[in-house]
Amino acid sequence: MSSTEEKTPNSKSESWKIDLQQAGFVRRLFQARKWYGADWWFVAISTAMVMGFIFVALFPGMLAPYNFDQIVGTSFLAPGEYPDLPVLITRSDSTIKTLRDLAGPDNTEPSKVGVIQGSPSAVAVNEQSQQVDAQLVSENSGLRLRPRLQRFVTAKELLDAVNSGQVPVGVTNLSEFNLLAADYPNLHSGSSITSETATAGGFALGTNDVGQDVFSRLIWGTRVAIIVGFSSSIISLLLGLPLGLLAGYFGGTFDRLLSLVMDSLYAFPGLILAIAITAVLGPSIYNVIVAIAVLYIPTYYRIVRGQTLQVKEEVYIEAARSIGAKRSEILWKYIYPNVIPSIAIIFSVNVADAILTGAGLSFLGLGMPPTIADWGIDLARGQRFIQSAWWLITFPGIAIMVVVLAFTMMGEGLMEIFNPKLRER
Amino acid sequence: MPAESLFSIRDFSVEYHTRGGDVRAVDDVSFEIRRGEILGLVGESACGKSTLGKGLMRLHRVPARITGGELLFDGRDLMTLDEDEMRMVRGGEIGMVFQDPMTSLNPVQRIIEHLTETILSHESKTTEEEAKKRAGELAEKLGIRAERLKEYPHQMSGGMRQRVMISLALALRAKLVIADEPTTSLDVIVEAKFLDLLRELRQEFGLTILLITHNIGVVAEVADRVAVMYAARMVEIGDVRSIFADPKHPYTRGLLRSVPNIQLNDAELYKMEGAPPSLLHPPTGCRFHPRCPSVMPICGEVNPPMGTVGKDQQAACWLYLEHPQKAEVKHD
Repeated sequence: MSSTEEKTPNSKSESWKIDLQQAGFVRRLFQARKWYGADWWFVAISTAMVMGFIFVALFPGMLAPYNFDQIVGTSFLAPGEYPDLPVLITRSDSTIKTLRDLAGPDNTEPSKVGVIQGSPSAVAVNEQSQQVDAQLVSENSGLRLRPRLQRFVTAKELLDAVNSGQVPVGVTNLSEFNLLAADYPNLHSGSSITSETATAGGFALGTNDVGQDVFSRLIWGTRVAIIVGFSSSIISLLLGLPLGLLAGYFGGTFDRLLSLVMDSLYAFPGLILAIAITAVLGPSIYNVIVAIAVLYIPTYYRIVRGQTLQVKEEVYIEAARSIGAKRSEILWKYIYPNVIPSIAIIFSVNVADAILTGAGLSFLGLGMPPTIADWGIDLARGQRFIQSAWWLITFPGIAIMVVVLAFTMMGEGLMEIFNPKLRER
Repeated sequence: MPAESLFSIRDFSVEYHTRGGDVRAVDDVSFEIRRGEILGLVGESACGKSTLGKGLMRLHRVPARITGGELLFDGRDLMTLDEDEMRMVRGGEIGMVFQDPMTSLNPVQRIIEHLTETILSHESKTTEEEAKKRAGELAEKLGIRAERLKEYPHQMSGGMRQRVMISLALALRAKLVIADEPTTSLDVIVEAKFLDLLRELRQEFGLTILLITHNIGVVAEVADRVAVMYAARMVEIGDVRSIFADPKHPYTRGLLRSVPNIQLNDAELYKMEGAPPSLLHPPTGCRFHPRCPSVMPICGEVNPPMGTVGKDQQAACWLYLEHPQKAEVKHD
C-alpha cells in the first residue's frame, strides 16, 4: 500500500476492502467478529449483559418500582397474583373513588359503609377512616369522616345492599368480591383502602414473607453484588499485581517469603477463609469486600509473578538492559505492559467469583447486615419457605447465576481472543 | 595502519554456576578491538561467543558471573564501575544488536518510543521534542521512513527491526556496537543489505563493530580482522585476509575447510573429527588436541599461549611456539 493511500482513506471502498489500520477503533472491534467468530459473539453478548447489570446497579431507583425495604403488599403473593386487600365496592356510576370522598361537613349525617361482620376489612375501614379523619381535622377543611358501619353476615348480602343503593359503598377483600363479581355487572371494585401502592396487576415476581416486592429487592441487590464484585477484585488487583511484579522481577528471599505467604493463603478453601475473616470483622459491606479481596490476592500474585518470570527472560528485556534502561524503567515500561493482558482477563472471571463468594457469605448470615438488599440474604430468607413460595429463592438464584455467567463468559471469551496460550496451562 | 586500541580485554573469564559444577564459558580470553574496525568473532555454537559478547557489557546475570579479567574500554576499566556508571556505558558507549530481531523489541512500545526513551534515559537534560527530532533524523539515515516510526514492532519485517536495533545502539552515538549473530535469522538478501548498512555506518559514524557470528561467509564479507574461539578459548586472531589465505591453527583450518562451497563436490567437504568438548570437563592442555590432526604429546599437557605467527596474526598452538617441554616430550 502506498503512502498516499494511507493518508487519504478511500471512503468509497467496499466494506470488505476496509483496511483495519485506518478503520476507527469501534469499527475495528466490529470487524473483528469475522475472524474471531464464536468467541467474538461470546464476548459481545456477555459484555452487553455485564453493561446491563452495571447500569441496573447504577440506577436501581429508576428501575425498581418500590424501595427494597418498603412493605408494599400482603406477604407471599405469587408472581402476578392480585394482592387480596380490602377494596371499595361501588356501583359503576358512583362518584366515590376513595374513602375520603365519603367525608362531609361536621353537622351532617355520617355516610354509611357496608362491611362483613367480623372480617379484617371491617377493622381496616375503622383504622383507615380514623387516619383520614385526623388528616382532615389537621387540614382545617371543615370536613369530617366518621362513617357509620352497616354490618352484613355474608358477602352476597353486602353486595345486594350496595347494588340496591341501600348503602352507597361497601368494603370487602378483593378475592371475596371477585368470587361473586359475575352476578353483579353493575358493581365495580375500586382502589384499596389500606395501601396506595398495591396495584391491580399484582407484583411481577411476587412478594416475600414480609410483603416486600421481590423484583425491587432483586434490582437493588444488583447494586450490592456489583459493588462487592468490583471493589474486592480491584483491591486484590492493586495489591496482588505490584507484589507479583516485584517478586517476579527481583526474586530472591523476598520472592520466596512472599510466595510462601501467598501459597498458604491459596491453600485455604476460599469460602472458609472468607467466613473466618467476616466472622471476626462482623457483618458489613466493607468487611465482606475486605474478606473477599484477601481471598483473591494470591490469584493475581501467582499469575503476575509467573508472567513476570516469563517476560523477564525475553530478549527485549536483555535488549533494554543493553541500551542502559533503568531497573524501574524495565519493570514499568517493558514488563508491566506485557503482563497486563492476562490480568485483564483474570479480572473479569475474578469479579464473577467475588460476587458468588459475597452471595455465599450473605447466605450464611456472615455477609451483609440484614437491612441491605442482597441476593444472598434473600436466598437465606427464602429458603425457609421453599415449599410454599418458590419465587423467593428462584429469582435471586437466577440473578446470581446470570451475573456470574456473564462475567465468566466475558473473561473466557477475552482469554480465547487475546491469550489463547494461557488456557492450555 | 597501526590502529589505536578502543577496547582491550585481558584474561577475561566468565563462569556459569550449574548443578553439575562451574562451567567456564569464557576462559582467560585476551584480545583487543581497534578503533574503527569490524572484528568478526567466529566459532561453533556453544563455544562462548555470545557469553563473551554479553560479558563485555557486563550484561550477564545469575547464574553467570565474571570471575576475572580487565575490560579496558577507552581508557577506563569497566570492571571497576558500579552498576549505575555501567548503565550509562551500556547504550551510551557500547550498544548491542541481538540475534533475533523478532523478539528483541518491546512488543507494546512504538518504534519511536524505543528511540526517544533510550535518548531520554541517558540524557536527562534533553527534552522529548529534541529526542524525537534526533530519533527521526537517525532513523532516516538508517533507511526507516518517518511514518514507520509510529508502528509497533510486530508490524515490521525482520530486516527493519534489525535496523531499529542498530539505530537504538547509535541513538547515543555508541563507539562500539556488539552485534550478536545479527544476520542469523535474516534471509540472504536482507542479510546482504544489512551488512552493507554496517559498512556504511562504520564510514559515517566511525563506528567500531564486534560481529559475533558462526557464519564464516559474513565475516569474510565485512570484517577487517577475525577472532576464532574454540571451547571457551581464543585460538586465533588476525587480519581477515591472512587468516583466510593462511590459517595457522589446525582448528581454524578445519573450520574454513568445512564451509560449503559450490565449487566443491560432496566428497571434498571437510568434516572435522569428533565433537566439541564439554566445558564442564574440558580436556587438559590445548582444548583442541583430541580432535587435532597434527597433535603432539605436549598438546595434552600444557595450554599453549597466544603467539605471533605472522604479520598481524596470532595463534595459540604449539606448532608455532617453543617450549622446553616440547622437545623433551617429543623424544620420549
